[in-house]
Amino acid sequence: MTRPLDGLKILDFTHVLAGPFATRLLGDMGADVVKVNSSTRSGPMATTHPHYLMWNRNKRALAIDMSKEESRPFCRQLCERADVVIDNFSVGVLERWGVGYDTVSPSNPGVIYVQMSGMGEGGPWSDFVTYAPTIHALSGLTHLTGVPGRSDIGIGFSYNDHQAGLHSAVAILSALDCRRRTGRGQRVDMSQFEVGVNFVGPALLDYFANDHAAGPVGNRMPYDPVAPHNCYPCAGAVSENVEDERWVAIVCMNDEQWQALRGVMGNPEWSRHAKYRTAESRVENVAELDAAIADWTRQMEATKVMTICQSAGVPAGVVQTGADMAERDPQLALQKFIRSTTDEHPELGAMTVDALPLKFHGTPCDEYKRVRAVGEDNAAVLQEWLGMTAEQVQKGEEEGIFT
Amino acid sequence: MTETSGALVGVRIVDLTDERGIYGAKLLADLGADVVRPEPPGGDPLRLRGPHREGTPDGCSSLWHAFFASNRRFFCVDLTDDERCKQLQSIVEHADILLVCDGAFGFEEIDLERAREKSPKLVVVNTSSFGTEGPWKDYLAPDLVAGAFGGSVGTTGDKDTPPLKTFGELNFMLSGAYTAVAALSALYSARETGAGQVVDVPVNACIASCLEHVLMFVWYNERMMFATGPVVPRQGSLHWARTYVVMQAKGGSIMVTPTPDMMAQLMWLVEEDLHEDLLDDSYMEPGNHRAFVTKLMAILRKFVGMKDVEELFFEAQERHSPYGWVLPIDKVAANPQLEARDWWVPYRVGDVSTKGPGAPYRFSETPWSLGPYDGPGADSAVALAEIGWGEN
Repeated sequence: MTRPLDGLKILDFTHVLAGPFATRLLGDMGADVVKVNSSTRSGPMATTHPHYLMWNRNKRALAIDMSKEESRPFCRQLCERADVVIDNFSVGVLERWGVGYDTVSPSNPGVIYVQMSGMGEGGPWSDFVTYAPTIHALSGLTHLTGVPGRSDIGIGFSYNDHQAGLHSAVAILSALDCRRRTGRGQRVDMSQFEVGVNFVGPALLDYFANDHAAGPVGNRMPYDPVAPHNCYPCAGAVSENVEDERWVAIVCMNDEQWQALRGVMGNPEWSRHAKYRTAESRVENVAELDAAIADWTRQMEATKVMTICQSAGVPAGVVQTGADMAERDPQLALQKFIRSTTDEHPELGAMTVDALPLKFHGTPCDEYKRVRAVGEDNAAVLQEWLGMTAEQVQKGEEEGIFT
Repeated sequence: MTETSGALVGVRIVDLTDERGIYGAKLLADLGADVVRPEPPGGDPLRLRGPHREGTPDGCSSLWHAFFASNRRFFCVDLTDDERCKQLQSIVEHADILLVCDGAFGFEEIDLERAREKSPKLVVVNTSSFGTEGPWKDYLAPDLVAGAFGGSVGTTGDKDTPPLKTFGELNFMLSGAYTAVAALSALYSARETGAGQVVDVPVNACIASCLEHVLMFVWYNERMMFATGPVVPRQGSLHWARTYVVMQAKGGSIMVTPTPDMMAQLMWLVEEDLHEDLLDDSYMEPGNHRAFVTKLMAILRKFVGMKDVEELFFEAQERHSPYGWVLPIDKVAANPQLEARDWWVPYRVGDVSTKGPGAPYRFSETPWSLGPYDGPGADSAVALAEIGWGEN
């Protein structure tokens, strides 16, 4: 065994981001992930689109045209040999293809089925169509992430898709451990909406227990008296464009850190005022406090502010862009977070990837295989999983089954 | 100790995490693992985190702690007492998984090498801000600062706001989820091979790995339709593809997108006679897709402004358009889908019971469950006795 999940067989019917991210994680850790796709479904360019390239490394590609009735027995056999079957279609698609959990589990009682639909099975919204921005809106995440008086900001990336992928991985690995004990697999019904609502858990408990509905608070802590706790502008912008602005985040979680920050700033006169003496009073006067700190940070580059603050024990960090992380972040470089695929794509050459952020000391995960074209691994997968001969695979391809 | 039927029944975990990893311990505990959380005699400092249940005694009033430290067995350890430190070491040596965060309570007192020698299958997951080496390894990084380093803050906010933190503890909920994945993957490997191991979970990389388009634009911006360079600016709710954005309707805000079927959206506008020149064939030429999307989104903004938000949301979903009504917390709490799926669960906090969030997944055979939440030091005698030594 060279990676933690070596030998685990996963049949992957996922698409877009949440599902592919789940199986990417498992593939990075050594599972044999077979991604089922078809040339009619994916379109001619889909597997070389940057978005597809980001989420589908370390998977083998099998083409099956599920619109054909004669394809379904092969698909069912694959499901019968899998440890895990995963999809993120709307509820019921695998059932319509004749490979639902109830059909497959009698002949493969150890199989784990994860169905990560938008709304889960059952309920008045079960057929609703969702992407991450939909889930953010419905779960309260968009409303809560922003500044007071606005509800049109929200999270600037597809947070919930990644979290749904991570939670799927947790569900799969937990069900596998359970199977080791009981010998039985099971079905996991994941509602990506419920995953999202879970992230505002403390705010919901506050609502139910105290009848207090939280609202957006900008960069403040929503419940605890902490100040300063914000992002502050810095020198060094190369243009007036938003993407070129430079910012630093500074947080004083306690009075000791506030006193340290005062020292770093040279104990300015304004900071001695009684209104900044306690966390509570700093929060009460936070607009004035933030403005004074911003006057100080504007004089320096963000890296300088970060360095002198951290040296004094004050939490501070450059607000990094993607370019900062890819090109200038010494920790990510040390972690080899950004690296090249271990093989070259026939059209695109060596691909740059963001590595699994986990460092397994005993079973390192250092293999990053390029994204495969639809059906590129037909022969290998069908021979290994179903024992088919090369001739049988070729015949299936000619008949439009494995395409 | 709550009787449970979760998927991880029988898995023993010692939870020495702080905010950076505590969500991972919660995920595992809620799936039935037996998770013990040692705390100092005065109680876990995280018991001070708000919001608090009004009128509940100190120590178990934190709703934050009730959520993140659910399904744990708590017991106090006085780290100035050698005997208690030995007991803590012994607990670790009886565990399947040890979850730690550098600098968190008890971390320094554990002799990891000895524990791994005595228990070769032990999985140790170390969730830290930056890993165990490097120039920033000792930097302090609470959630906002972690998000700044990890890239989530830089891509959230609008052009007229500072870069913004996501609400609550969302950065640490990413590192927490990774903590659980690391623990379970290493456990899988340990079950197969008999060999445990250490897994490092650096928060900065966990966040950076979940930013969707941020690194994609660094590497592929020349192939992206709306890219102006390697960095996508803060642009409020406007998605990098420019086809998802929150718009103002009558009575509220709604996330609007013409995807995945732009033609269906166009036909809807035709029905409403709002399509302007969008049926012009020139828009269908590949080089004009950008102009089509820009015009379509502009028309949608006018269209949405004329509609009642609730009616628009349900009509869009009826048409299989993934619009999302921007709901405040009180409306989330009253959501009919969550109600129909019987999602909410009772939370017992101290001596009162309230309603709270349910499971992020449903297991057909081993249901997720939530036990009562206790004050500091509760269950200590049970916890110690069950692993082979008593309170004394």
